[in-house]
Order: sequence, then C-alpha cells, then structure tokens
Amino acid sequence: MQTSRFLSQVTRRALMSGVVGLAVATSLPAFAADTVKIGLVAALSGQSAKSGQAITRGLTIAIDEINAKGGVLGKPIELVSRDDESNPGKGLVAARELVQREGVAAMIGGLDTPVSFAIVPFANQAKVPFVGPWAAGTGITKNGAEENYIFRVSAVDEYVDEAITEYLVANHAVKKPGMILINNPWGESNEKGLTKALEKRGMETAGIEKFESNDVDVVPQLTRLKENGADSLFVVANVAPTAQVIKSLDRMGWDVPLASHWGPSGGRFTELAGKSGEKLHFIQTYLFVEGDAKGEAMFARLQEAFPEIKTMADVTPATGIANSYDAMILLAAAIEKAGSTDGPAIRQAMYEIENIEGLIKTYTDPFSPEDQDAIGPEDYLFAHFVEGQIIPVK
Amino acid sequence: MTLLIAALVTGIGLGSMYGLIALGFQITYSVSQTVNFAQGSVVMLGAVLGYVFIERLGLNWLIAYPLAILCCGGFGMIVEILLVRPFVERNSEAWLMATVAGGIFLDNAVLFTFGNEPRTLASSLTQSTWQFAGTGIYPQQILVPIAAVGVALALHFLFRKTLQGRALLAVVQNVQAARLMGINTTAMVSGSFALSAMLAGGAGLLIAPLLSVHSDMGTLFGLKAFAVAILGGMTSASGVMLAGFLFGLVEALVTSYLGSSSTYIVVFALVILALTWKPDGLFGRPAVKKV
Amino acid sequence: MQYLISRTGLDLLILALTVGGLVLTFASGGYIQFVMGLVALTTVLCVGLNVLYGLTGLVSLGQVGFFAIGAYATGVLLLNDVSFWIALPAAAVAAGITGCLLAIPAVRMAGPFLAMVTIAFAFIVEHGAVEWRAVTGGQNGLTGFQMPMIGGYTLSETDLVLFSICLAGLSLYLYRRLSDSGWGMAMTGMRDAETAASSLGYRPFVVKSTAFAIAAAMAGVAGGLFTPLMMFIAPSNFPFSQSILFLFAVLIGGAGSVLGPLAGALVTVLLPEFLSGLAEYRLLFFGGLLVGVLLIAPRGLVGSIAAFLPRPSRAIKPSPATDIEALLAGYPKPDKLEIQGLGISFGGVRAVDGVSLSLPSGAVTSIIGPNGAGKTTILNMISGFYKPTDGDITLSGKSLAGLPAFEAARSGIARTYQTTKLFENMSVVANVISGLSRGRLGQPLGQIESPENLELAAGLLRYCGYLGDLDKRAGDLPHVDRRLVEIARALAMKPGILLLDEPAAGLMRADKDQLAVILRKIADLGLAVVLVEHDMELVMGISDRIQAVDAGKPIAFGTPSEIQENEIVIAAYLGDGSAPALPRKDLLETVETPVLSTLKLTAGYGAAPVLKDVTLKVRPGEMVALLGANGAGKSTFLSAVSGLHRPVDGSIILKDEPVHALAPHDLVARGLVLVPEGRQVFPELTVLENIELGAYKRQRDMSGDEVEALLERFPRLKDRLHSRAGLLSGGEQQMMAIARGLMARPSVLLLDEPSLGLAPAMINELYAILGELRDEGTTILLVDQMASLALSVADYGYVLEQGRIVMEGPANDLISDERLTAAYLGGGEDVSMQEAAR
Repeated sequence: MQTSRFLSQVTRRALMSGVVGLAVATSLPAFAADTVKIGLVAALSGQSAKSGQAITRGLTIAIDEINAKGGVLGKPIELVSRDDESNPGKGLVAARELVQREGVAAMIGGLDTPVSFAIVPFANQAKVPFVGPWAAGTGITKNGAEENYIFRVSAVDEYVDEAITEYLVANHAVKKPGMILINNPWGESNEKGLTKALEKRGMETAGIEKFESNDVDVVPQLTRLKENGADSLFVVANVAPTAQVIKSLDRMGWDVPLASHWGPSGGRFTELAGKSGEKLHFIQTYLFVEGDAKGEAMFARLQEAFPEIKTMADVTPATGIANSYDAMILLAAAIEKAGSTDGPAIRQAMYEIENIEGLIKTYTDPFSPEDQDAIGPEDYLFAHFVEGQIIPVK
Repeated sequence: MTLLIAALVTGIGLGSMYGLIALGFQITYSVSQTVNFAQGSVVMLGAVLGYVFIERLGLNWLIAYPLAILCCGGFGMIVEILLVRPFVERNSEAWLMATVAGGIFLDNAVLFTFGNEPRTLASSLTQSTWQFAGTGIYPQQILVPIAAVGVALALHFLFRKTLQGRALLAVVQNVQAARLMGINTTAMVSGSFALSAMLAGGAGLLIAPLLSVHSDMGTLFGLKAFAVAILGGMTSASGVMLAGFLFGLVEALVTSYLGSSSTYIVVFALVILALTWKPDGLFGRPAVKKV
Repeated sequence: MQYLISRTGLDLLILALTVGGLVLTFASGGYIQFVMGLVALTTVLCVGLNVLYGLTGLVSLGQVGFFAIGAYATGVLLLNDVSFWIALPAAAVAAGITGCLLAIPAVRMAGPFLAMVTIAFAFIVEHGAVEWRAVTGGQNGLTGFQMPMIGGYTLSETDLVLFSICLAGLSLYLYRRLSDSGWGMAMTGMRDAETAASSLGYRPFVVKSTAFAIAAAMAGVAGGLFTPLMMFIAPSNFPFSQSILFLFAVLIGGAGSVLGPLAGALVTVLLPEFLSGLAEYRLLFFGGLLVGVLLIAPRGLVGSIAAFLPRPSRAIKPSPATDIEALLAGYPKPDKLEIQGLGISFGGVRAVDGVSLSLPSGAVTSIIGPNGAGKTTILNMISGFYKPTDGDITLSGKSLAGLPAFEAARSGIARTYQTTKLFENMSVVANVISGLSRGRLGQPLGQIESPENLELAAGLLRYCGYLGDLDKRAGDLPHVDRRLVEIARALAMKPGILLLDEPAAGLMRADKDQLAVILRKIADLGLAVVLVEHDMELVMGISDRIQAVDAGKPIAFGTPSEIQENEIVIAAYLGDGSAPALPRKDLLETVETPVLSTLKLTAGYGAAPVLKDVTLKVRPGEMVALLGANGAGKSTFLSAVSGLHRPVDGSIILKDEPVHALAPHDLVARGLVLVPEGRQVFPELTVLENIELGAYKRQRDMSGDEVEALLERFPRLKDRLHSRAGLLSGGEQQMMAIARGLMARPSVLLLDEPSLGLAPAMINELYAILGELRDEGTTILLVDQMASLALSVADYGYVLEQGRIVMEGPANDLISDERLTAAYLGGGEDVSMQEAAR
C-alpha cells in the first residue's frame, strides 16, 4: 500500500521532472495560467524532513479545502514544492527558481532560520510575499526592509525567550539559569533573546554553552554549567540533539528545572530521550487535544488525506501542521482580497485581512506594517511529553 | 577533573568506534587497494536494520543483531560487485565516486523506507548509569570499547588461525601467489568488502543506543573513520585501532576544553599536520619505491 | 597539418560555444540566465580541477575549500567597498597561495592519503567560515554585495553572467594551450609515469605544486564570481559534498579532455534542475544516476565521443641521421662518471657493497651478474632514485650521490628501465619530445610540439630504429617498439651518460643485433653508455669493459675476453661447473595419454602474440623440460597454462578436459599447480603457514603428519618452520615454494625458473631434490634457463624460440644436439662458453 503510493508518487514526479527539464532546455518559462501557484521551500530531506512533512501536510489540507470551495480568483491553488536540504544556498536558488521560472504568486517556507535569512532579501527585492510557517529567528520578519514582504505565522524567538524565562522564574524561582544552545543561527538568535530577557530582570547567566547536532554527548558542556552554579537550564535545539542533552543530564544525575524552545515537539522526543524527557517543558503554538472539536475535525481530515496517520503521535509536530494550515488560509484570503496574483497587491491585502478563522485562533487584523507576525506571546502554551504524547502543562 | 574523566570516557568510546569502522577500510584496502566510501552509510544501515528487526518485527536481539550484521555484509558485497569491480576492471578510479554515490543512494532509500524521524534503538545497557568521580557512565559506553577491542582481537585471531583468514592474508601479501594456491581472489575481495561492511554495521548497532537512529547518522562516522584509517597507515590493523583511540581522545579533549565548535577545525588540522610529518600515516610503513 | 587543423578546430569550437552561451543568455532571462552563470563558474572551477586531476593525475576532494576562500575573499572585499575588479584577482591569489601551502604536504602523497588531506582541508575551511564570525558572518553568511561597476555603469546580473561565460570560454582555451605546452607535457608525464618524468629532469614537486596552485586559483575565481551572482554566501554553500560533485563533473565530462569540464558542469548543474520537481526524492535519483553514468560512460562524455573521432596523423619530416649524430656528438659531455665504494642497504640487507667503477665517455661499460646481483640498484643510485648508504658518485668532480633524480637528469644522465616506463597516454613522438628540454618547462602557453621539436623527435625515433606510426598512443605499442621509443626519449635529453637496463630483454635476435649496432654508434658519438644486460652475445659484442657483480659485490672487471675466461665469473653463473647428472634409477613407465597437453596454444599482450601455436605434452610420471632464451615465451606459456594469463587461443587439456577458460583457483582444484618464478612467498606468514596454504583446496582431507612427511624431503625447512617466510634465504624460499606446491598433491607440477638467483651449491641441492621427486613419480614440467641443468634431470625436452616450439626430443638426445646450441644460444659459438656466461 505504502510502497505503491510511494512508487506512483515517484513516477509522477519523474514525469514532471522530465517536463520541467524540457522547459529548461527550451528556455521557456512555464507560466501556466489556469492555476495560482504557491511555492514551498522547506527541508524535505535530512534531519528536518519530519517537520517539512508536517508543513506539507498542513498546506495540503488547507489547499484541498480552498480548492473544494472553488480556489482563489476562480482558479485552483497549486503547490510547487522544493527541497532546500536545510541549506540556505539551495533554499535561495529554489526560491529564485520558484519565482523566476515557476512564476509563483507567493512563497511559504523557511524551516530553518538560516534558510529564511537567505531568502528574505531576495523575496523583498522580487516583491513576492514570503510567509514563514516555522523558522522563528527574530530578524526574519524584522528585517529592516522598507517594503517588507515577509510574514510569519509562527513563534518568534524573542517572544519565546521572554516566555520561557518568565516561566522558569515564575514556577521555579530560579536565579542563575544556564544556556545550552545548538551551534547554529537559531541558537545564536536565542542567545540574544535569552540574554535580553535576563538583562530585563537583572539576572545573570551561569554560562552559555553551544553544542553540535551530532555530538555524542553534551556532558562536558553541562558539567561546566553545573560547576558555574546553574540552577536551571534553557535548552534550544531540535529533537535529537535535545534528547542528547537529556541523556547527558541523566548520566550526570543532575536534576534541574528545564525550559525549552519548541524543538522537542519535532519528533518522538521521549523515545529518544527516555522517561526523563517528560521533565522538559517547552513552548508550543498549537496542540491536538482530545475534546477540542476543531482539533479533532482537523485530525480526521489528516487521517483521511494521509492514511499512514494512525494516532495523535503520528501528527507531530502539530505546530508545523497548524502554522502552515493557518498561513495558507491567511495567504489565500489575501490573494482573494487583492484580486490578483501581483506581489505588492497581495502584500497590501495581507494588512487588510480582518477576521479569518484559523486552527490556532481566529485572526483579527493579524498583520500590520509594524508587526508582520500573526502569532504573539499570548498564543503560546507550555507543553511536555506524557506517554509519547504532547500534553499541555497544567 | 570530572571534565577530564568525562572526556576520557567519551574519547575511548568514540575512538574504539572509529577504529572498528576504520578496520573495515583497512581490510578492503589491504586486499584490493580500494575502499567503500559508503562505509558511513553502512554504519547507519546496521543501526536502522537493528531497529527495524527489534522494534518493528519484534525479533529477539540475539537474532536481530546477527541478522542486521549479515545484511550489512550482503550490502558490502553488492557494493563491491556493482560499484567497485566494474571500475577496477577498467583500471579506473571512478569506484571512489561510485561508492560515494552508493552511499547517497542508500541514505535516501532509508529515508523513504525507514522514515524521516530519528528513533531510538533501546538497549538495557543505557537504562541506568554507573556513577563515579562525579560523572555517570552508561554500561553501554563500557561495552563499546570492550566489544571493539574484542572484535579486533577476534579478527586478528581469525586471520592467523583459520584457513580462510590466512587465505585473506595471503591475498594481501601476494595476489598472484594466492591465486596459484587455488584461492579465488575475486571472492576474497568480495569477502573483504562483506567483512568490512559487517564491521561497520556492528559498530552502528553498538553506538546506536547512545545516539538516535536516523538516515544520516553515519556520514560523519564514515568520514572520521576514514581519517583514522589513513592516520593508521591503511595497512596495519593495530595501527588503525591505535589511531582510532588517538583520534577519539583528541576529539573528546578538544570538545571538552575548547568547545565543540572548534572540534573539526582542530582535529582536521591535526590530521593534515600528522600527514605532513608522516606521509604514510602515523603507524604506516613507508612503501619501498620500486623503480 | 591535419593535426594543426584539429587544434584550430577545437579553438573555434570553444569560441562557438562561448558565443552560443552569450546569445542564449541574451535570449533568456531570469532563472535560466542565473543557471547559465552557475554552469559557467562551475566550468571555470572544473577546468582547474581538470589540470590537477585530468592532466596531473592528482585527486582533490577539497576544491570546495578553495571555492569558499575565493567567495569569501571577494565577499569581504566587496563589503569593504573594494572594486570587484580588484577583489576577483585577489580571490584567485588568496586561493592560489592556499593551494601552494596545501601542496607542500599533498604532493608527497597519493591515492587515499591525498584524498584525506584535501578532505580535511575542505572541512577546516567550511567550519572556519562558521566560526570566524567577525569576518564571515558565521552561519548567517554575508549578503548585500554591490554589483560590479565599470566606470559609472553597474553591471546587471545578465552582464555578470556574460562575463562569467567569457571567463569560462577563456579558461577552456587556456587549458587547451597549457595541455599542449611543456608544462602540460610535464604534468601528463607525472600522471603517466612519475619515475620516468623525474629521470627526464622534471621536478615533481614544482610540476605538481603548480597544478595544485592552478586548480586552487581557478576555484578561487569561480568563488569570486559566485559571490555577486548568488548575492548571498554562507558556509552551507560550501559543504564537503560539493567537492565530490566537482570531481564527479570532471570525471563525467571526461578527465583530461579539453571540453570535459564544460560537459561535466552542464550535467552537474542542470541535472539537479531537471530533478528539482522530484523534491525530496531528488537525491535518491541523483545517487542512482551518478552510478549509472559512471558505468555507461567510463571515459566521460567528451572522452567517449572523442573515441569515435579519427585520430589525426601528421606528415612529419624526420631530421636526417647525420643531423641527429651531429647534435648528440656536439653537445658538451662531462669527462667521466666516477663511482667509488658505492654501497646501499635495504633493511639490513646489503644490496650493493663496495662497487667502484669509472664510466668514460665514448665507451660501452656493461654490468653483468646473476639476477638479484644488484645491477639495477647501481643504476638507480646513479640516476638518483636511491640514496647510497656509502661511497660517492662524481660527475666532472661534482658529487651526485643522494641528489634527486631530476638533478641527475639535468646533469646529463639519461636512462631506460627494465620494464619500459613510457608515458602511455602520449603519442610516440610526444614521448620523445618530453625528453628534449631536460626538464625545462618553457612557456606555459607555448606549443611544445613545434615543427622543429617534431622533426627532431621523429629523427631520433628513426635513428633508434623505430619505423612505426609517430602519432600512435605509446600505450598501444608492441614490446620491441617500446624499448626503442624509450631509448630515443633518453637520447632526446642529449645526455652525456646513457644508462640502459636490459634493453634487449624480450627482443628477437635480429632486433638485438640492430640494437647492438645503434648502441655502439651512440657510444662512438662520445656518450658514456652503461649497459645492464643478460644477453651475453650483445654484451660481449659491444662492450669495451665489463664489470661483473654477484650478491652486490664486484667480482671481476675487464675486457669481454678477460671476463669470459674469469673463473670466478663462471662459478657465479654456473656453480663450480660440475652440475651432477641425475639419471633415473629406474626406467620411466608411462602411458601415451598425457596428463597435460596444449594444442596450438597462442597468447600475448596487446597486439603481438608472445606464444604461437605451441603444442606440448606431459605424460604421467614424466619430467618435461621447456627450454629457451630469455623472452622466448616460457613464462607466458606457464602463465597461460596455470590460468593467470587469460584469454588464450588454442586449447589446454588437463586429464582429458579442456581447461583453457578456467581461472587459476579452478585449475589448482583440478591438480595443476605452478611454483612461480621468483618464489612468490607470503613474507609475513610463517613457513608452516605458507606450506599449509598449499593445501588450501583440499584442507579438509589434510592429515596432521603430512607436513611432517613432506619436511623429510626438505630438511632445511625443518628448523625454520615458525619463522617468517620473508626472512628465509633465496634457496630456502625456493624449497618452501616447492613444498607448498607439493602440498596440493598436484597431478602435474609446473616449476618456473627454480634455480634463478640461487647460489651454485643451493642449485645442486635443489636439483637433487627434483631428481628424487621425479623418481617417486611426480609429474613435472620444468622451465629453467640453465638448459644443461634442466636436461640433466628431464626425460623429454621442448625448445621454445620466439614463441614457437622449434625442436623437441628425449633429453639425452637434445643435450648433445648441435641445433639446440643454435636455437637456444644464438649463433654457433662454443656451447660451454655461452653456457658459462649465462
């Protein structure tokens, strides 16, 4: 079943690629007029592939819904996906290709903050709206461009950092937290945010430690933090590296309050980190919770579209699905409102969106030229893993 | 002090892993002057198959582990037959690219069949820790170097004491004479690739419980192990194991005291310096120049 | 002329492709134009890599490091408001200098070691870019570059792509020029035969480092173009895997071909574009495609197409022999080469010990001695390949001992090799031209195959007796021609001293006679000719003086007639001259059905067959001797029969079954066992382990005391059982090799030159054992150069000359047959003398 699906997908894509290839060879840009094309640039392979899959799922559900209701501007929406392999260069080239050859009306994407940073100047220059459903780097939307085409339906590091600092202070009365951050721009972005949040409270840090995603253990870094008197830890990293932090803490026998960015939600965190993983509290923008009608309906649609989904544990990260679903709904509304697929018109229409019912919340005036982020700190919730499921912290 | 002990424990564990994988390079290089650059992917394959057999098919680990290792051996043979032999027969060095491409292919094939989520290969030896000197150690971390050294010794014993082992040594020392002894050298080369892949697969199974299992977990292991094999001189098994420990310790010490961001820069700079100093590897014998 | 046209044609093709690229850029726009820019800069980079890998044969998996250095250098300079037109050359220089630095360790290495150093370099650069945040912007990279300006005009992306395409075209053209220059020739020489190149005066370090620097600088230029084209650079643009892709591009395009990098760049840049619709499945297909293309087009796209094009051939008018002689005679010669107390040890073994020799100009000095006497080692020390442990070599008062090979060559010492070392992928005439400059590299873009050089080289070739196609690929030459071309190449250096290592090996009598005439003429032109040779007729015929050596020590020196009569020399070659006859105790009882026979067996290497229609029979229990001079085809015959040499024509029948298609291991299983020439022991295994391996195919039915029983026959091995075989003496190794062969319980045992390089006493002992084996009924086919010795134990003999059986008969008849002397020793001179000299 799954194999045949895989094969049919592959052959279809192989055929498509042949057609695309022909287009390159004849140097004729393939502008198809009967659909509205939306580009997706995200990591579809490699370590972040799971999150890329969630984004694709959210978008697919949203697009199916929109198309069932007649599409936008009377045309169906077509999703054109490109894999950036978490590589900014590849992401930028993919974005150029989507805009210049595929002629997409807008782009969604940027799973990794560096990839988004690479695409931002190009999107602004090409005047094509770029909506981020994931990457949280503060500077992505706050990029200083005069005409800013970058929007986001996702968390923002600066706000997240403020929220997790507040969380530790309020719940554990911590005085000297340490930071253990992944050594990449995402980590850098949070280093700034956390430092700012601590400064605001006049607190000092026990140290800022970096680690690599393929480090076998993080004991040395953690040992240094412990020796400096850390009474709590901020963790910023993806699923597998965060699990390595938890395992290293376990080995050291160090039981310390932990607060994390949303990294752990990207996969089967407790399977990787073990039981101690449940102690880690992290931020989320959305969770599938039993009893929530909207969520259950969405889950049912997901199961229908993707038969491989069996339980709630299979739809992680829910954040990715919800953010991208909402991003697509908002984008479609803006295109409809703009009445054209012209970039500046869509951008203008984004500011004019008034009331749209999304999965995360009902968006009322989500964007303004001063704040191009649709989700704010008030929408964050804290969660942790229990028995392999992400549950809100009570 | 705690830091030093932690670094030593990690370094010895890593080093023995590198040594084991590098032995695979050493064996095929000795026999055929070729290596499988997909070795890192085989490390991953071992771990992934172990996970699939145990977690998805519910096999007992006593069956699952040897089965996974055997499958890796089979993969090694396929690599030799499809990706190495055709090029060696034409006297081409393109096997290098072909095995690299084979690794890319395997990584991605696993991505689509196994899935894109990191998973955990559970081991009862990572459920609890032993505490000492202010740090903790999983029993698995002790098992890794013991198993690695054990396998290396077993291999040594196998080579010296069994007929097939000696036949392999004979091929290494004099291919033509080996053929005249009735040894099927083509099969021996295939066998060496199988053995090499089994070592890598076994290493993958050993290390997996300490990490997570996913489709690109092996790439860096393969690369570092290649550096180890080169430092060890490519032809001496004991040299390669020794180089493995050295590499692992240096890596762990650099990570502990300078931070993991500088690990690659320092470690690979040391590799270049070491090879500048000794172009045939730290423990390699300089080849006599034939004129 | 046609050759020149093809070269002009190539240049025009490059021009046409460049113009085509420019037009296409104008016609297209947006993304396609951007992709063309990527193709152009990848071409520039791959042309550089083609110099390194295609021409020089050095693998680099670190090109992405130089690419990154170029990109960051340009990026940082642009951000500091430096003009692009300064930044781009600066990027090339920065990358080039780094390349030179990396070359210092890298050029001393080969194969996987070189690969590792370059891999390590790529990683250091990538991670350095991540960590050096102040300059590189860390993982977030650099962006916001000014587009290049000319005067007041700012280049658009289109202009930049046009510029890149022009640079790509220019780099292809420059590569064409470089590969045709003396530099290109030196690089190709390093790739094909580094040893030969350095003995022609080329300095490996300089040539290889230059290739490294060129490759690095061109990668730097590509990086410099990448920065403004991409408008964004970050460490993740330069992953290690990109290096692999670059090398792949060169391979797939066709390493060493002029247009290969362009074809490779097109494939590696466009293929991912073609596959982009596959999104996440892209890498899966890419991996599969890489393998497929490598398998289908092993020579690369351009290489595969070029193979179908006719090879150009030129009408070259060779310089007349008189000009050649005038040239060789007119060149200044050193007075004399003096060797004093020369010695060298390898791991405790004295290979050469206390050799003193004076090599005067205008004379032929020969060095003779049994195999393993150290003759070639002496030549290797004179020509700078080995550093002597003791003694000195002086040329016109200047000490040469320990100087590298290229220095020796530049002092006027030329040489040839026992196994010819031609530059296989160059034409015959180019091989000779490579010697002309004595290692001077000349203009980097100058045409080395100038009309004068061509005529001179052709003249040298004709002078040395090579009459074949001048434009033939040297690797396709038959054996005899290879020898002649190698001598012509050595003469091209206009040397004062010419060292020849077994130039007559494998030559036919007529060719040898011709060679003798040429060598004598060369000496008469005033060169000092040094000859190491086994063919005594040649040696005695042309030498002025002869130095005989044995086991590394000088044993006699004198004129040919003095040497021929020297007792010590005769003893060294033949033992004390009293090889005992070993007649059978009982008469041979056998049947007519042979255990092994060949029928019209024909085999060879490349063009000319070495064996022609050989028909031979070995009956059960019989001992057959196969005789013939060096190079008559004896070893090839044994290789063919034992399965090492495949394929063969005709048939080989073992115990009534055809076996000519079987591999050695199958033949061993069927009872045909060869004890090869030179013993071929497994040096790191013990004697016992070696012997036990002989029974590899029948290990299961081997009984414990079998080895014990076997050792009764080889008492010398008994107390050495547990020492490493590599430590045994030559005679002991030979005994062990025979014991090892017997362990297989052969139906027929083939022995190849068992007496080679053994002391006389040892030879007698060995032959006594062979006699015993024969008497016990072992079937043996014996090949030995020492004809009388072989016939003393054999029942029947065959004589091979130039690959054909010229006579056969019972051993007793053959040994007294006058025709044997003629066939085996050439000419009808005194048999005992010839035998002795051999």
